[in-house]
Amino acid sequence: MILTALLLVALALMGAPLFAVIAAGALLGFYRSEVDLSVVAIEFYRLAEMPVLLAIPLFTFAGYVLSESNAAGRLVYLTRALLGWMPGGLAIVSLIACALFTAFTGASGVTIVALGALLYPALQQAGYRDNFNLGLITTSGSLGLLFAPSLPLILYAIVTQQLGLGEPLGVDEMFLAGIFPGILMLVLLSVWVLWSNRTQQLSEFSLAEALDALWQARWELPLPFIVLGGIYSGYFAVSEAAAVTALYVLVVEVFIYREIKLHQLPMIMRNAMVLVGAILLILGVSLASTNYLIDAEVPTRLFDTIRAYVDSKLAFLVLLNIFLLVLGTMLDIFSALVIMVPLLLPVAIGYGIDPVHLGIIFLANMQIGYFTPPVGMNLFIASYRFNKPVMQLYRATWPFFLILLSAVLIITYWPALSLWLPGR
Amino acid sequence: MLHLLQNSDWVKRLGRVVATLEDGLLVLILASMIGLAGTQILLRNLFDSGIAWIDPLLRVLVLWLGMLGAMAATRDDHHIRIDVVSRFLNPRQKNVALAVTSLFSAIVCGVIAWYGARFVSMEWGDETVVFAAVPAWLTELIIPVGFGMMAVRSLLLFSSCLFAMRQHRL
Repeated sequence: MILTALLLVALALMGAPLFAVIAAGALLGFYRSEVDLSVVAIEFYRLAEMPVLLAIPLFTFAGYVLSESNAAGRLVYLTRALLGWMPGGLAIVSLIACALFTAFTGASGVTIVALGALLYPALQQAGYRDNFNLGLITTSGSLGLLFAPSLPLILYAIVTQQLGLGEPLGVDEMFLAGIFPGILMLVLLSVWVLWSNRTQQLSEFSLAEALDALWQARWELPLPFIVLGGIYSGYFAVSEAAAVTALYVLVVEVFIYREIKLHQLPMIMRNAMVLVGAILLILGVSLASTNYLIDAEVPTRLFDTIRAYVDSKLAFLVLLNIFLLVLGTMLDIFSALVIMVPLLLPVAIGYGIDPVHLGIIFLANMQIGYFTPPVGMNLFIASYRFNKPVMQLYRATWPFFLILLSAVLIITYWPALSLWLPGR
Repeated sequence: MLHLLQNSDWVKRLGRVVATLEDGLLVLILASMIGLAGTQILLRNLFDSGIAWIDPLLRVLVLWLGMLGAMAATRDDHHIRIDVVSRFLNPRQKNVALAVTSLFSAIVCGVIAWYGARFVSMEWGDETVVFAAVPAWLTELIIPVGFGMMAVRSLLLFSSCLFAMRQHRL
């Protein structure tokens, strides 16, 4: 048993696709308990029985279309025209623009590549220090994970729904829960940005430019309102909001702005669906592995074991933070969700932690995992994109890392921040 | 045998044809998904009605889309994986790691495809219907087919790794 587990971990470290590792775990487990292995296919088929999953391909497609168009440029121009006059304004612009963009496109490094290309030279020109710029852009690459309609928020709700623990948790609750913790991160970073650039020269606010920027972005501005307003008002189900977003983005970028030609669409669709396929495949096989884990009562046993050593909620939360931080540097957010949440959630509930709160803690931790040295993924993406040694990125990101770490700690030990809006 | 697989034009051409078919179907499904979901919302809001078969069809399309996307990810070698270790390997070690992991994926996918096929044939016997007149086995067919294709592609990748290893020694 332990030997098989070690073998699977070794294969995963060698770079085996994680879906195959998870599936192998499920197959071996069921084989050992003499269950017909067709159960894996049957569990996989449950992907076709969850209406909310429709949101994943549709939001991803919308995000890919946006990132292929000039939306990023308009977003930067707009925020700059509105906030550029403040001290540290451009840096705050970067934070807000990246957060919005990541919420729609997912933290797959797209933000660093698409927005970084615009913001990095602009920041340099405005006279910010090089290391500051690098740190800011790298950090911003995963900012916005907690804002709707980011895929990890949706996926967390879906994974918890499969566990059948108490009342089911809705995607819309996660969307609400992420707002204040996400804003907290933005505010803390903004304060640091303002303080560290207090000597920066200011540019003047121009009403004409602001109006021009608003006018240029007039078709994209309604997007957050359609998504958030539609879902929060209860007018749209999550999957409907995704469909409206996909249609709206398609019409706006292809037929109104005309930045994407019709013949480019199949390629964009295909590329977006490769990501969707990779995520759904992992989700599908994890339905089977989760089923096995619950059958084998692994979460209960895990809870009993941990309970024997950790007796307070506080101590558990501290360990959780450390564990997730390490996990986040190695595992991508989607695999981490489907593998760890089925194990962690029953334990966390045992310690009296709200499932919604756990979700926010989990994602906030994973978010800083993206740029935690030495192996956070975004460090390498930024190093590649801006042609800088990874060592320089370690130095450049550490102040941002400390700030977001303190945000994660506040989020962890102040549950009301996450739970007040969804009213739990 | 290896040489045959690596150098046969026939295998390559077949691979390309199948890939184009898969991609075409993928794009078609996503486009109809957007269209159908849009239609349903329009009907609900403007006419306060809806078409009964659209919702179950959309759910099945999610599965098909996911499977086809996963097959494309296998072709592109874009599956989600941990790439912490591979950054520190030299090309030769990387090739060995790829050979081991692709053989592993091929076996896993093959097993799921096999048991998926048994699942489909059971449902064929039961004559279960998902919605309208669409039988369940048809909607489930993508599972053995998809995993089967991924097994084949992983096996081809494995063979090309072996081939590279042999080239290296020569």
